[in-house]
Amino acid sequence: MDFRLTDAQQALRESVRTYLDDAHPAALLRRLDRDGPDPSIWYGLAKMGLPAALVPERAGGLGLTLAEGVLIAIELGRANVGSALVDTALVAAPWLARHGDIGALADIAAGTRRIALAHPINPWIADLDQADAVLTDSGLMPPPAERVRLQSIDPLRELFAPLAIAQANDLLLNLAALMAAAQMLGAAERMLAIATDYAKIRKQFGQPIGAFQAIKHMLANVAVRLEFARPVVWRAAYALQHEYKQAPAHVSHAKLAATDAAMLAAETAIQVHGAMGYTYEVDLHYWMKRTWALAGAWGDASFHQHRLDQAIVGGLMPVSPAATFLSEDKHA
Amino acid sequence: MDLQYTPEQTAFRAEVRAWMADHVPSFRNLPSLESRAGYDAHVAWERELAAGNWGMVTWPEKYGGRDLDLIRWLIFEEEYYRADAPARANQNGIFLLGPTIMEYGTDEQKQRFLPPMARGEIVWCQGWSEPDAGSDMAAIRSRAIRDGDHYVISGQKTWSSRAAYADWCFGLFRTDPASQRHKGLSFILLPLDAPGVTVRPIRQLHGDTGFAEIFFDEARVPIENRIAAEGEGWNVAMATAGFERGLMLRSPARFQRTAQRLVELFRAHPNPAPGLRETVTKSWMDAEAYALNTYMVASTIEAGGRIGAEASMNKIFWSELDRSMHRAALSLLGAAAELRGDPATTAWLDGYIFSLAGPIYAGSNEIQRNIVAERVLGLPR
Repeated sequence: MDFRLTDAQQALRESVRTYLDDAHPAALLRRLDRDGPDPSIWYGLAKMGLPAALVPERAGGLGLTLAEGVLIAIELGRANVGSALVDTALVAAPWLARHGDIGALADIAAGTRRIALAHPINPWIADLDQADAVLTDSGLMPPPAERVRLQSIDPLRELFAPLAIAQANDLLLNLAALMAAAQMLGAAERMLAIATDYAKIRKQFGQPIGAFQAIKHMLANVAVRLEFARPVVWRAAYALQHEYKQAPAHVSHAKLAATDAAMLAAETAIQVHGAMGYTYEVDLHYWMKRTWALAGAWGDASFHQHRLDQAIVGGLMPVSPAATFLSEDKHA
Repeated sequence: MDLQYTPEQTAFRAEVRAWMADHVPSFRNLPSLESRAGYDAHVAWERELAAGNWGMVTWPEKYGGRDLDLIRWLIFEEEYYRADAPARANQNGIFLLGPTIMEYGTDEQKQRFLPPMARGEIVWCQGWSEPDAGSDMAAIRSRAIRDGDHYVISGQKTWSSRAAYADWCFGLFRTDPASQRHKGLSFILLPLDAPGVTVRPIRQLHGDTGFAEIFFDEARVPIENRIAAEGEGWNVAMATAGFERGLMLRSPARFQRTAQRLVELFRAHPNPAPGLRETVTKSWMDAEAYALNTYMVASTIEAGGRIGAEASMNKIFWSELDRSMHRAALSLLGAAAELRGDPATTAWLDGYIFSLAGPIYAGSNEIQRNIVAERVLGLPR
């Protein structure tokens, strides 16, 4: 039992963060909003090796686990990187690895194949225009010839009308919900940082507004929610990686906790900014809108609440002080 | 990241579980720790624990402990609460004064104070708050004036849990009468039966009188009872307060057990309000999140890290969780919630009353939020 990030995990997080701070700053979000998608971003991320992260070594990847995937997704959320990388590298790659599709995995590792995710739980498909293939319940299929574009509240999100998919795929849903939770943690961290920085420089009544207890306590509440959402997301990653029977419930817990933290961070950050927060002038709105999108994506609160409720109140999962890390509930 | 127990950890869990199964049943449903009879029954339980060498599991063996690492401590606590073992009368000693003496005490003080604490022979209460020094603890006025090899203590402490029945008190006293605020305070230990010490019980919300005010009228205490250097009391007290808010005082298992009982209460209700369903699930989620966070912090400390202002986040989280779980239980009990007598119902009502103290004691949650804002987020003071 050792619930810490390893040195290698911390180094991975640092290197992704350092790269994104430089290559994916807030100024880039404004430019993408104005000029539309920029293909060079994908090539930069591919050069960084991120598409290969969760691809098994035998397919030319780094063979990292979902725990590292979550760390990467947190950084992608913090930098507000578009969803194509998460969907391809952190959801499709582990799904394909479990289904043994080595050919597709090698292309993902090389950064030459982008995959959009189709699932009946979402009334849209993200980034279908950039996709080389679509992942469904039955595996990869070519993208449709015709696409209908949908409008998202998030100006940096490219959405298209859903494809007719009959079967729901739990693994796809769980992987994507986990990574949505991780991205929301990153977004929450960023929104807390933006609001905290603003509270330090904005002056009223002759002092920074961050010196007022009303502001301090609001921001402290966000810090607390975030602090206690993080380990929930990491545990879900571990449980899903190890195929624990309770992994779906843990993923639902992670999605609910991260949504809660990110929505609180968003509402608090806009309140701290006052009227400025209600404008398009401050960058805050990019993270808020990504949060609103991810909150409903890959199972909304009702879906995950219901699933967790069945596990807890419905008695599908042991509930006791000694049950936190029950390993005997592993799949055979 | 390795979230599986080793075979040794699993075997340790089985050992604790077996001991609890043998010893807890004769100590079930004790009267309130805040009453005379309840206090005595809880001290008897402390001695039972000590006889099995389960009293101070994280302490070094030479002081009566088992030298357990924090992961095993968490396992011990999980089994403790799983078995519904009684509340710890010795809590101030185990989690607050014990670690403080180990960190700041002399060898002689360790030998003198720790083993009797471990054996459950001396139960300690805290002497921090004063009538005009609550959240603003640096406003302490009680004085300890040096007279040869003694201090002469005068003043008043208040809101001291278990002081009505405890044996000794540890607290902060102003040893430099000219000093202001955080300076000139010293950390001093004294017996409550010393001449010049008067304990006056305070009746609490639930009607019992475990709390007390302590009056000092020229009580004489030898200088060997001071922990750390004269004038260093504030730093020592801050370390003690860190233990209190931080990892050890409120083990997650306690809240997980409450969440489990709440789930069971919900299941037994024939027609619960839909909103309560979400509250119950949320209670489990937050208790679980607190446990996961504690495992993370414990792993970090085991690897040589330290806990800082994050301790304040813990305190906010568990105290508000505890209150919300008990409030939900009262909603589920409905009209039966007010009836005293049935132990199951009374436990929820007493638990709710006690949970209302959680956001106040050990530094009110307003103070904790200031600490988080200033020391974690770096907002201006």
